[in-house]
Amino acid sequence: MITLLTGMLATAVLAGGVLALAALGEVLAERVGVTNLGVEGLMALGAVSAVITVFSFHSPWVGLLVAIMVGAVGGMVFAFGAVVMRANQVLCGLATTFMGLGLSTALGHNYAGQPVDATFGHVTIPLLSAIPVIGPAFFAQNILIVPIYVLLPALVHFVMFRTRHGLNMRAVGENPAAADAAGIPVMAMRFWYVTLGGAMAGMAGGYLTLTYVPVWSEGMVAGRGWIALALVIFAGYRPIIVTLSALLFGLVTALSFVGQAHNWPIDPAFLNMLPYLGTMAFIIVPVVVWHRMRRVMAAPAALAQPYYRDVR
Amino acid sequence: MATRAFQRLPTAPAGRILMLRLVAIILSLFIIACVLALSGHSPLMLAELIIHSTLGSRFGLEDLALFMCPLLLTGAAVTVCGTIGLWNIGAEGQFYAGAIAATGVALGVHGSALTVLPLMTIAGIVGGMAWITVPTLARAYAGVNEIITTLLLNFIASLLTYYLTTGPWRDRISGAQVSTQRISVSIPEMWGIVHWGFPVAIVIVIGLALVLSRTRWGYEIRIGGANPEAARYAGIPVRLRIISVMLLSGGLAGLAGMFEVAGTVHRLQGGMANNFGYLGIVVAVLARGSCLNVIPAALLMALILDSGIVMQTQQLSASVILAITGLILFMIAIGDELAHYRPLARTTPQGTAAGSKVS
Repeated sequence: MITLLTGMLATAVLAGGVLALAALGEVLAERVGVTNLGVEGLMALGAVSAVITVFSFHSPWVGLLVAIMVGAVGGMVFAFGAVVMRANQVLCGLATTFMGLGLSTALGHNYAGQPVDATFGHVTIPLLSAIPVIGPAFFAQNILIVPIYVLLPALVHFVMFRTRHGLNMRAVGENPAAADAAGIPVMAMRFWYVTLGGAMAGMAGGYLTLTYVPVWSEGMVAGRGWIALALVIFAGYRPIIVTLSALLFGLVTALSFVGQAHNWPIDPAFLNMLPYLGTMAFIIVPVVVWHRMRRVMAAPAALAQPYYRDVR
Repeated sequence: MATRAFQRLPTAPAGRILMLRLVAIILSLFIIACVLALSGHSPLMLAELIIHSTLGSRFGLEDLALFMCPLLLTGAAVTVCGTIGLWNIGAEGQFYAGAIAATGVALGVHGSALTVLPLMTIAGIVGGMAWITVPTLARAYAGVNEIITTLLLNFIASLLTYYLTTGPWRDRISGAQVSTQRISVSIPEMWGIVHWGFPVAIVIVIGLALVLSRTRWGYEIRIGGANPEAARYAGIPVRLRIISVMLLSGGLAGLAGMFEVAGTVHRLQGGMANNFGYLGIVVAVLARGSCLNVIPAALLMALILDSGIVMQTQQLSASVILAITGLILFMIAIGDELAHYRPLARTTPQGTAAGSKVS
């Protein structure tokens, strides 16, 4: 039982890490008032560029760095349309997803199915890894888990809720006109946080192919970007809750793995549906059960609204 | 202080939008040509080949019509949903649901085409509607974002199709992979391989345009989309209208799936939706909320898909088409926004300049 639990949590931590990164990046973008529906495409680009890089440089660090940069460039392209040109954010996001998915498949064509030879290996943190159940999952897998689950969310939380910069940032998402009047550079703020969010989506993709599923295949991101978007809504745009819910979500994914490994009498296709069904339940059930949830977990007031200084 | 040279208009003039869209498409094609040239293909030769094999040959034109048929319906599905201000990103899933339901009827009911085809049609529509039911109710009663719920169901529909075509419904006769056996009935063909679903789809789109522009229901939908608060104040049951529009949208996408099963593919196949659902979004965007515009928009999209076949013969992956579509969509989104801006005449800014001097 304990071994089953340990194994499940270990898978959950890996699967959830991918979602946590992408969702945390999206929290940044949405807090400044921009919905980036391109996460799925940026993750695919990050995943494929990490694989391609590793084939020539044989270092997962270089792979991850390239994935981050590719994600950032993709985020900038999206931000150019959605923030600088102030075009419809839904359309720019979908277009980014299409471009990302299409380009990644075309680029990865020659690399599909080949196992990645340099991935992030096991790193065991002494003492902490000896804690039963939690230890092996969090402190004995790869080196990125602690940054993903602890350092990054804590940093984002601190900056967003404990600094003046974070206050400015949230002001841009709630009321850009007021923020602008107070001298906050609305456009720059939106552009750079969307870019940062894109970089994190690219990193999530790279993390996916460098740890969890070390092989590129078409469609391997399989809706993780969309699940990350749903998690952001579920977590009410809060960095720590979003990370925790990504872990919870990793558990749902792990459940389908355990089911397949233990030959549960359910077809794998149905087990594979679990993450999507789970996400649906995640964003529908809480709002139905507890109506005040909608106000407590409300989206930034100016979400998805382009800001025009000159409209009077 | 620099004076503003442009003014943003609340609604963009149609002529300016058309012009900027042309610019957007030409710019996209230019970028694509540059990328192709850099990767060692000759864009001019490719363009000639594409035009020749899509518009210049009978097979090309037949394929064009076959691509247009599902795009008309999925485009219309996204368009009607957009009329009330909602995004149905799940046409892909509803397409599969319609295809699954129709195939179920075709495999289960034995009879003449005259009895089976209508049953399949109903099953396709109901299947699509059933697939959008949960997002619809969640949107109407709990305000849950329909973009994500409709989209997530696409993955579930695709997995369900995979399960059926490799499990209970797998082809036991010819042993084709991820496919059911060929169904016994099919929509009759009217011109080469083009089946009657194509003209029916066009009639449906025109009918929808009339319903939306000429009936009270259509009027209420449009008001609900333009200004939900005003609509509620005027006593329009917005919630009920949302439910009816979303179900209609799902039904249209489901019908597209049924047409594809019964007219083109003749079986249920994994991956048969061929991104038609997602491309329906592009068609709807191109159509700018007007059902009649769905026809030329679907034609353009079908042309792009048709040229994808040519590109595949030139060692270019089919996924390039998705990237190209994305680029065009991106450019058009920007173009549509730029169409809102009108350059101000030289004389107007003087007033503002004088005003700023005073303050």
